[in-house]
Amino acid sequence: MKRRKFLILGSALGLSPYIKAKEISDFEKKFKKLEPILSVVQEHLFPEGSKIPSARSMNATQFLFETMMHKSFDKDIKAFVLEGAKELEKREKGRFMFMTVEDKEKALRAYEETNYGSNWLSRIMTLTMEGLFSDPIYGSNIKEAGWQAISSYGGFPRPKTRYMEL
Amino acid sequence: MSVYDVVIIGSGASGGAVAYTLCKAGYKVVVLEKGRLIKREEFSKDELAYSRRDLVTPNLFDEYHTIEEKVDGEWVTTPTYESGWSFWNGNIVGGSSNLMSGMLHRLHPDDFRLKSKYGKIEGANVVDWPISYDDMEPYYTLAEELVGISGKVDKHPFEPPRSTADFTQPPTKENTVVKLFDKSCKSLDITPLVTPRAVLSKDKPGRDACYYSNLCGSYGCSSGAKGSSREALLKPALATGNLTLMSNTYVKYLHADKKDEVHHAIVIDTVTGKEKKVKGKIFVVAAQAHESARLLLNSANEHHPDGLGNSSGEVGKNLIFSGGGSGQGELHKDSLKHIKFEELMTTGLFVNRSILDWYFIDHWWDGTFKGGSVEFMFEHQNIISRARKNGYEEGKLVWGRDLGERLVSRFTEQKSIRFEVFNDWLPNDDCFVSLDPTHKDKFGMPVGKLRLEGHPQDVKVGNYIAKKCEEVLEEMGAKNIYSSISSAPPQNLVAGGCRFGNDPKTSVLNKYCQSHEVKNLYVADASFMPTGGSVAYTWTIYANAFRVADYIVKQLEKR
Repeated sequence: MKRRKFLILGSALGLSPYIKAKEISDFEKKFKKLEPILSVVQEHLFPEGSKIPSARSMNATQFLFETMMHKSFDKDIKAFVLEGAKELEKREKGRFMFMTVEDKEKALRAYEETNYGSNWLSRIMTLTMEGLFSDPIYGSNIKEAGWQAISSYGGFPRPKTRYMEL
Repeated sequence: MSVYDVVIIGSGASGGAVAYTLCKAGYKVVVLEKGRLIKREEFSKDELAYSRRDLVTPNLFDEYHTIEEKVDGEWVTTPTYESGWSFWNGNIVGGSSNLMSGMLHRLHPDDFRLKSKYGKIEGANVVDWPISYDDMEPYYTLAEELVGISGKVDKHPFEPPRSTADFTQPPTKENTVVKLFDKSCKSLDITPLVTPRAVLSKDKPGRDACYYSNLCGSYGCSSGAKGSSREALLKPALATGNLTLMSNTYVKYLHADKKDEVHHAIVIDTVTGKEKKVKGKIFVVAAQAHESARLLLNSANEHHPDGLGNSSGEVGKNLIFSGGGSGQGELHKDSLKHIKFEELMTTGLFVNRSILDWYFIDHWWDGTFKGGSVEFMFEHQNIISRARKNGYEEGKLVWGRDLGERLVSRFTEQKSIRFEVFNDWLPNDDCFVSLDPTHKDKFGMPVGKLRLEGHPQDVKVGNYIAKKCEEVLEEMGAKNIYSSISSAPPQNLVAGGCRFGNDPKTSVLNKYCQSHEVKNLYVADASFMPTGGSVAYTWTIYANAFRVADYIVKQLEKR
C-alpha cells in the first residue's frame, strides 16, 4: 500500500527519474558497506572443494552487485538483499564474519528457521546460481566453469550484450 | 495526416494474420505495437535476460494488472507488482508467438457446440459458437501452410477432420525417448500421437529449418523456424510495401466521434513520450484477450458511456484460460529400460507426443463429460531454473558441498519428462476483466482488473487426466512422479472477454468478430471465443484471424 502511494505520487509530480538516480547511488553505498558479509555468506553456501565452482572463484559478489544495479531488477528484492544481510549481522552481534565454518553453519541454519531468514537465504542462493549458470558475459560462470561442472551448456546463439541491450 | 485502410492494435498471432491478408490484398495497413522490435539475428538463448528478468514484458512497476482472487470467501485484490505474477506475455513485435513452444492442435468440431453436446453445466456460461468447424477448417489449413506447422497425420477418433491429406512439413526430429513413450502407451492401450508443432523441419523461403537449440519455448528463434507472427506474417507483409510497422507505440484509447464508427486511435510513442492520432477506415483490436477488453473499456466516451461497443455490458466478461496443469517424472540412468541413456541425454531433439484419448470421456463408471488433451515434453532445459529447483531437501535449503553433489547427479544421471494437461476453462460469472478504479499505468490509463475464479469441474477433469498421465510415466519407469492440477489460471493461455454470437444483447461481436454496434471495429484475437476447447489457442487464433481478415477484405472491396 505504501509503495503504491509512493508510485502514484512520484509519477504525478514527475519526480520518478530524480528519485531513481538518487536511489542508485544510495544503493551502491549501502551495498559496499554490506559487501563483506554478503561475500562470506555466498562463500559459505558455495564453498571451495565442491563439485560446482565456488562463489569466490566465480566473482559471485560482484555479479550480485551488478545484476541488482540493472534497471530490470526488482527494487523490493534489492532492498531485501541488503536488509537481510544487516539482520544477520545484528542477530549474530557483528560476529558472523569471524566465525568458524561450523559456527557459520549453525548461525545460518538458525536464521533459516525464521521465515524471513529462510526467504533471504533462498534469495541469495538464487542470485548466486543466476551468476554461476548464466552466460559468462555476465561475469560469473568464468570460462563456463559452472556449466562444465554439470555438463550442461546454454544454447546458441549466445548473447553478445548483457540484458539484451541491442 | 494519412488515413490508413486498416489500423491494427497488436502485432501478435492475430494482428499478424490480419496484416498479412490485408497487405497482400493491396490495402494500406498500420500495425501499432507497444513493444520494441527484436530481429531474428538479435535473439539469443540468454536465460538471465529472457527467463529471469522482465525484458520482453513491461516492468511491473510501470505497467501491471490488479488481480482479484477469493481468499477465505472474500475477494482480495493484489496488484501484480506486489505479487510478481505478471499477466504480460511477450510485448515485442510478433508478440508472444515469438516465445511459444508451438505445440498446437486444431479444435474439435464438438468444441464449437459444447452446449448442444453436453447441455447446461451449473455455474458455467457455456454457449454454442455461431460458426461451425467447417467454417474454420479452410483457415486452419491456411495457417498450417503459412505459419509452417510440421506434423504427421495419425488416425484417431478425436482428431478433427482435415481437407488436406497430410502436413506439408514432416515432424521435427525426435529424441529416442519417444520409443519408450510409444511402447509404454501401447501397453496401456493408449494411442500416442505426433504433436503438430509450429516449427519448420525443412527450410521454407526466407526461413531456415529448426537447428535444435534445446531452448525453444520462452526464447525467440534464431533460424526463423518457429512460426511466429513476426517471421511468418509480418515480414512478408512488410515486403508488400503496404505495411507500416510502428513499434514502441502504446495505444491509449480509440476515439469514436459517433455511435457507430471509430475515427482514430490516440497513441504514445514510448521512446519520446509524444502523443498523436492514428486515423483509419477500419480498426482491428488484437492486443491479447484481457488487454483488448481493457482497451475497449478505456475507450468509453459520451457515445459509448460503458466502453466502446459495450452496450451489451459483455466486454470483459467470460474471460477464459486453460484448465489443467502439469506433471513430471525422472528417468534415471540406473533404471532406464529399452533406450540408451546417452541417447536420452542428447539435447535439442523434441518429444513431439500428445494424447487425445481423453478429449471426450464416455465411460460406464466415470461418466460422460468433456475431457482434454495432453502434451509430453522434456522439462524446460533452462539451467538456472533447473539448478534452483533442486536446491531443497524436505523443505530445507541444500547448500555447500551437498549442493554440488546433488546438482551434478541431477544434471548428469537423469532427465525429467513432463506432461501438460489442457482442458476447458469453463466460462463463469467470476472470471472477467474490468477497469481498476484507482490503479493507472505509467501512461495514465486505468489498468485491467482481473477477477479470477475457475469452475470446480475444471479441476476434476484435470485430475482425471493427470492420473492417467502418471500411469504413462510409471509404465515408462519414471521415478518421483508427481502432478499438480490447479485452479490458478495460466496467464499465457487467455481468451474470451469479447464473445462473438448472433445476439447483440448477449455478445460483443458478430460471427465475423465485428462489433455489433461499431461497424468499423473488429476484435481479431482470442477474445471472441465463448468456450476455449481443450488445446492451446494459438492455431485457432491464427485461423480465426485469417477468417476475419477475409471478411474485412470483402467489406473494403464494397466501399
